[in-house]
Amino acid sequence: MKKKVLLIIPAHNEEASIEKTISSIKNYDYVIINDGSTDKTEQILKDNNFSHVNLSFNLGIGGAVQTGYKYALENNYDIAVQFDADGQHDADSIETLIQPIVNGETNFTIGSRFIKKNSTNFKSSFLRRIGIRLISNVIFIFSRTRIYDTTSGFRAADRDVITYFAEHYPKEYPEPVSDYELIKLGFKVTEIPVKMHEREAGKSSIHTWKSAYYVINVLLSLFVIKLRRIKK
Amino acid sequence: MTTLQIEMATAAAILLIIIIASIVRSRLSIRNSIAWLLLPIAFIVIAIFPGPLQSFANWLGFEQLSNFIFLVIIALLILICFFLTVSNSKQQDQITKLNQEISILKHRKDK
Repeated sequence: MKKKVLLIIPAHNEEASIEKTISSIKNYDYVIINDGSTDKTEQILKDNNFSHVNLSFNLGIGGAVQTGYKYALENNYDIAVQFDADGQHDADSIETLIQPIVNGETNFTIGSRFIKKNSTNFKSSFLRRIGIRLISNVIFIFSRTRIYDTTSGFRAADRDVITYFAEHYPKEYPEPVSDYELIKLGFKVTEIPVKMHEREAGKSSIHTWKSAYYVINVLLSLFVIKLRRIKK
Repeated sequence: MTTLQIEMATAAAILLIIIIASIVRSRLSIRNSIAWLLLPIAFIVIAIFPGPLQSFANWLGFEQLSNFIFLVIIALLILICFFLTVSNSKQQDQITKLNQEISILKHRKDK
């Protein structure tokens, strides 16, 4: 049976790149979550008749992505893929990313920049790599599972994970925190090497001078999840 | 009664009136008003009968009743602040959920 796949595309002020990103997607259903954009994003979505949901006000990346998971659950999708609006993610890699879920080998896949060096032309700043490494180590210590690209936002979830995320999704620093949370809950999480582009437009939500603050917050969040009693 | 006692009782009485007026005008829910009502009532009682509290403060090792009162009030304020932050966090979660559900509903309606 063919699996129903939905791309969740959170967009906050992405007027410069959204059209190009959507035109790169073929053969997949998608929903754009317009997260309270103050530029022309909403107009562009309307004019082009792109499938989208408008949040009443800005929720941040966690709240926006969770809206997508709620949408996926409500519309009975089997697989949901988180896909960035800024052109950083490669539409041709979606097939690779969802294959292990289609085959029933895993619950959740993470598109990784690091797992195989030659599979990527992505360069990350030195500080950022150190931060990601540190987060990766803490997740390993807590869960005995190695995730290399803990901040990757290119991820795919099966029906069980969609159901869980629709109710429980971290508001802040959602990627590394939810990676660990899924592992702790006993979901199978698999990292898949994918290509990633330099972002076409827009800024990363992680700025250099905020990196240290980001890492400290993520570590604290991981620690809280470690202490928390959670169940599926 | 000393001047200080009269001042404290008067201030507490004004606070009590403000709180009751707020409840009457439905600006403060009755459920959340109990702590706020007890506070000025306690102040008035203390202002009129400081004796027992004085002995209690001395027994705890405070030389001045005023120091003890300051400490208790600051502790209360910190507690109130903390619980306000807790309730604020809960409301943020609830508002987020509403925002998400409304946006999905609107999308479904427009289709």
